[in-house]
Amino acid sequence: MTFKEIQELIRLVGKSNLTEFKMKQGDFEITLRTDKYEKGKVQALPQALPIAQAPVLPATVSTPVSPASAPVHKAPASPEVEAPAAASSEDESQYIAIKSPMIGTFYRSPSPEKPPYIKVGDTVEAGQVVCIVEAMKLFNEIESEVSGKVVKVVTEDAQPVEYDQVLFLIDPKG
Amino acid sequence: MNNTNTLFTGKVLFEFEELTSTNDYAIEMLAKTKPTEGTVISATLQTAGRGQIGSRWLANAGENITMSIILYPTFLMARRQFLLSQFCALAIRDMIAQHVDAAVSIKWPNDIYVHHRKIAGILIQNTLSGQFIQNSVFGMGININQVDFPAELPNATSLAQCTGSVYDLKTVRDQCLACFEQRYLQLKQQKIDLIQSDYLKHLHFLGENTRFENAAGLIFSGTITGTDESGQLLIDTKWGEQAFEPKSIRFLDLF
Repeated sequence: MTFKEIQELIRLVGKSNLTEFKMKQGDFEITLRTDKYEKGKVQALPQALPIAQAPVLPATVSTPVSPASAPVHKAPASPEVEAPAAASSEDESQYIAIKSPMIGTFYRSPSPEKPPYIKVGDTVEAGQVVCIVEAMKLFNEIESEVSGKVVKVVTEDAQPVEYDQVLFLIDPKG
Repeated sequence: MNNTNTLFTGKVLFEFEELTSTNDYAIEMLAKTKPTEGTVISATLQTAGRGQIGSRWLANAGENITMSIILYPTFLMARRQFLLSQFCALAIRDMIAQHVDAAVSIKWPNDIYVHHRKIAGILIQNTLSGQFIQNSVFGMGININQVDFPAELPNATSLAQCTGSVYDLKTVRDQCLACFEQRYLQLKQQKIDLIQSDYLKHLHFLGENTRFENAAGLIFSGTITGTDESGQLLIDTKWGEQAFEPKSIRFLDLF
């Protein structure tokens, strides 16, 4: 195939509605792809992809240099902004509260001279005793129903507590 | 087998010459194994018997009953646990009333009195998970043959002091376990009204005009009308009916 013949072939394929043209003749092999080839590929993909990811593809596939640099600049910036925002919005919801099952008095240790059962930063196992609630001279060791990390001691030692009052916050992922 | 008067209480019995506290021993057992319901830990001498926080239970060696009973009242909501105090106090009262002609009463919340003198005390320790009780240890000290009490216990009495007799400790202990099981079965059978009406019937000072002191030091008089569901004492005062928890009130008319 001469250079002229190749030029002619390119012109014909370019005017056609073809997306791709392959030709093999002995040792000679040529593949031509039109701009319709890339559009067809991109249009097919979004249907299979989650909506949020679709805008990423045209940027990286069709325009290799400049648009790609934009996401690169954005990428380090967005986690910095988004990560603290995500953490603070999870504060209330992701912790599990250990609550008082009755009216009584809350004690953090088994007796005044002993250290508290748990403190902030400790890891607790489900079934571990975390405090005592005394009610009408009955003494109750309260077991944690979850495993995790103690993130907050909500009630002070030797204070009266109401039914359902939050005593501790536990981070189950901690 | 030890007790022939019960179905399960005291069938497993650990007896010690000396123990720091039968309740502490029972709680250690519960931490390591699952003792049979009704297991009893009994000590001839308790060297560090516990009363309420900060107070000790003093008893002469070999003269009194000092024991703890392990139960699993898992059917009971934690917030209804005052029923445990009520049935246990009633059980000890039942046993003592079998021997004593005088009025045997329950001083709120759970001490046992003959006249104005204390004959028995209870210390109940529960383990809770969520809204329910996992296990309960009923510690009790009942004065039986002791007749001389230290000066710091001016209002203590014993079965022997009340009647002039000397008692076989094992016999009295078995009677106590039988009374305990009978009352516990009433609770298990949901005979709540019976337990509450019997508790009220024997409640010290019920219906009498009595003097009290509140946490702020105010002295006032009123009439005990009963207890509420959580166990608070209800007193009819000139300001109307008020509810008190143990730390917020003191009886002034007890010896």
